[in-house]
Amino acid sequence: MKKSLIALLLVLVVLSPCFGGGAQEKKVLHMYTAFDTEEAKYYIEAFEKETGIDVEWVRMSSGEVLARVEAEAGNPQASVWHAGSNTSHINAASKGLLEPYQPNLDFELPPVFHAKDWAWTGFYSGAIGFISNTDFLKEKGVDPPTSWKDLLNPAFEKNVSMAYPYTSGTAYTTYATLIQMIGLDETLDWWEVFDRQSILQYTKSGTGCIPQAGLGEVAVGIAFSHDILAKGVNQGYPVMMTFPEEGTGYEVGGLSIIKGGPEPELAKEFIDWCYSVDAQNLFQKYNRLPVNPGATVGEGSVTLDQVSLIDYDHIWAGENKDEMIEAWRDRIGK
Amino acid sequence: MQRANIRRREVVNNLRLIWKEPLLLMSIAGLFYFLLVFVIYPIFQVVLYSLREDGGWTFSNYIAVFSAEYYIRPFINSMVLGVLTASIGTFIGFVFAYAITRTPLPAKRFFRLTATFPIISPPFVVALSAILLFGRVGSLTPFVELVIGEYSIYGLGGLVLVETIAYSPTAFLVLVGILQAIDPALEEASMDLGARRSTVFRTVTLPLATPGIAGAWLLVFIQSIADFGNPMVISGNYQVLSVQAFLQITGMYDLSRGSTLAVLLLLPTLLAFYLQKYWVSRKSYVTVTGKPTSATIKNLEWYIKLPVYALCILFTGMVFLFYGMIIYGSFQKLWGVDATLTINNYIQMLQVGKDYIFDSLTLSSLATPVTGLLGMFFAFLIIRKKFIGRGAMEFISMLTFAVPGTVVGIGYILAFNQSSWFFPVTLTGTAWIIVLLLVFRNMPVGIRSGIAALQQIDPAIEEASTDLGAPSNMTFRKITLPMIAPAFFSGLVYSFVKAMTAISAIIFVVSGQWNLITVAILGFVDNSQYAPAAAMSILLIFIVLLALGIIQIVVNRVGRGTRTTSLVA
Repeated sequence: MKKSLIALLLVLVVLSPCFGGGAQEKKVLHMYTAFDTEEAKYYIEAFEKETGIDVEWVRMSSGEVLARVEAEAGNPQASVWHAGSNTSHINAASKGLLEPYQPNLDFELPPVFHAKDWAWTGFYSGAIGFISNTDFLKEKGVDPPTSWKDLLNPAFEKNVSMAYPYTSGTAYTTYATLIQMIGLDETLDWWEVFDRQSILQYTKSGTGCIPQAGLGEVAVGIAFSHDILAKGVNQGYPVMMTFPEEGTGYEVGGLSIIKGGPEPELAKEFIDWCYSVDAQNLFQKYNRLPVNPGATVGEGSVTLDQVSLIDYDHIWAGENKDEMIEAWRDRIGK
Repeated sequence: MQRANIRRREVVNNLRLIWKEPLLLMSIAGLFYFLLVFVIYPIFQVVLYSLREDGGWTFSNYIAVFSAEYYIRPFINSMVLGVLTASIGTFIGFVFAYAITRTPLPAKRFFRLTATFPIISPPFVVALSAILLFGRVGSLTPFVELVIGEYSIYGLGGLVLVETIAYSPTAFLVLVGILQAIDPALEEASMDLGARRSTVFRTVTLPLATPGIAGAWLLVFIQSIADFGNPMVISGNYQVLSVQAFLQITGMYDLSRGSTLAVLLLLPTLLAFYLQKYWVSRKSYVTVTGKPTSATIKNLEWYIKLPVYALCILFTGMVFLFYGMIIYGSFQKLWGVDATLTINNYIQMLQVGKDYIFDSLTLSSLATPVTGLLGMFFAFLIIRKKFIGRGAMEFISMLTFAVPGTVVGIGYILAFNQSSWFFPVTLTGTAWIIVLLLVFRNMPVGIRSGIAALQQIDPAIEEASTDLGAPSNMTFRKITLPMIAPAFFSGLVYSFVKAMTAISAIIFVVSGQWNLITVAILGFVDNSQYAPAAAMSILLIFIVLLALGIIQIVVNRVGRGTRTTSLVA
């Protein structure tokens, strides 16, 4: 009996090399994606169906992707970095981890949607907004916040949630927006009060405050409009979305080729596909704003010209991130 | 002078003995090579990274860390959390172990099962459930608020609650082993001599169990401060080191400072590990005679039974409550808002997750037997053979247990993403890096149970075999192996469970080709899709239970007459 067990183990050991790599006949593209699993699957399967290329992908937060790409710089394992706020792509570009590529487009991509040297390109966008729990508003008889100042409303005392600016692109965009609007010192002065008075807690992920607001754990959260719609409103949570009237910042979702990746040609094919009308139309389901003017905007989505936008400087935000974060942490102490 | 001579002679003798057995020598060399490459080298890389910035050597990361309140605070917080969790967890574990071994508690199997149940569930499931139950709009929050007023589950309190549920089982498993090993005859003798029950407990049971209690405390302490999943979900603004190290790397893209925080996390765990290993275990009073102990459990007074039973029932009730909530939640349409029951979550989860489930099963099935065999082999060499570096081998092989998962994960990608002169293959992106990580991360428990089993077997039996002319390997195969089979299988069970539920280290080495179910669950949690996350957790728990059942059947067939497997660590 014992012998058969040992034999079984031997068989396992002998068979196991089959799990290594194996010859690959079909074209395979390796990719890191920062979209959530379900959403990433939705886009990638559409690509696979259309092109017959197999995609091997891993889902990670954009920070994890960056850490991974940096650690693997000696021997990159993936060719494409799909999605994630462009701030992290800018950071990667400044570390020389990305391979510039100008996609084949039949429309003009505005300069804010790509790096000067095309190290990364933007393929969707969305503005920062507020999400409020409607049950709470009704019960307390307050209006949803429509200004940054409203966040200090005593009605929202210890009832606001957002992510840490240093863990989430969403929260960093919020922070950088305020800096670009009123300057660093005033932002920190405001934030100190905001932190003490209104913040219940910071979350790690930028979308963490959405279900919190939905469940009524907090009254108000700060997040990207497409996330508020897709993960809050459309899920059936009792929530509503508003925007600050003084102006708000916005996200550009990044797309880039990893330098030295195994399949540079397939990577280019994938990036070109991401800008096609068909691919951009897929964003409707998740309320992201397409950059291809030929694509249809999802129902209920708020386009950038419907809110008061500031002239948000992504490059500045990306390049000064470390310094700004350090200032925030020194002052807020978290 | 004379002593030095004796020592030298011993060493020479040892060398000669080893030389006579080339197979043994080769195994020892081989195992040391594995340990160096897969345990030491990755940790070394992390330390290296913490000392580098912009291509040069520097202490600037450490200076920065020690001069900022927001780096020091998490360190203190982690220590406070560790001490609280370890103290409460050990207390509960002890009471449970006492109830199982020393009282006529009814339905012992049932209590034993529920007490160890949290071990087989993936991390962060308990935290998730806690939010649903006790969060601001949790199902039980109104009742709790009636009793204790306004409170917040996010923070130290919630963390201690959640980690106590998650890690008391560890303390229980250690202590139940210890209490079982203490011969009740000692207590009976004391009673017969006229001591009161409380005196017996205070002067006999407790002192005998003290090393075990200290050991359990330190183990829970290590697990608590290395815990990553639960704080990730429920810590609120109470920041702990393991999460901060992770955030530093994934949020600030700062590998070197993240590594620095990881080193800070490493130091207390190593210290606790060292204490547990060398200080506490030396003080062990447990004597194993090899004679069966006739456990005659006498009926106890009600004032002992009442609080002990009450605590057992309370804890068991909590376990049921928390996991029941997960099951209930997995069928809800939108957790917390729309409680309509539906199986959509399971459909959605299976659509997204079937590849993950397959990968998890394949890789865990590969890693498990290797972990078990290697662990036993290590235990055998450490306990039964004398060679230079034995102590070092033991220490290193147990080290991964004390190293927080985040540190190991980062170490592995730093170490194996290019070939180096002593390991010429690139592992990143293959199934092997995951398998190896699982093997070396879960091996310590296999070694520990192997050592425990071997220590209880009189070496005289093996010596007899050797004296009759059997070489080392035959003695091992024919004598030692059969006797340690039960420990071997419980090691297998443990490593399979750990492989299926690993997250903190694994998240760094998964690839497009090979991904794991826990990573998928974390994806759902990140995405705040709690219901599908719950559904997938339930599926994972179900798979693990099924596998445990299969292993149990195999054990019953193979080792007829040996005791049943358990999760005893």
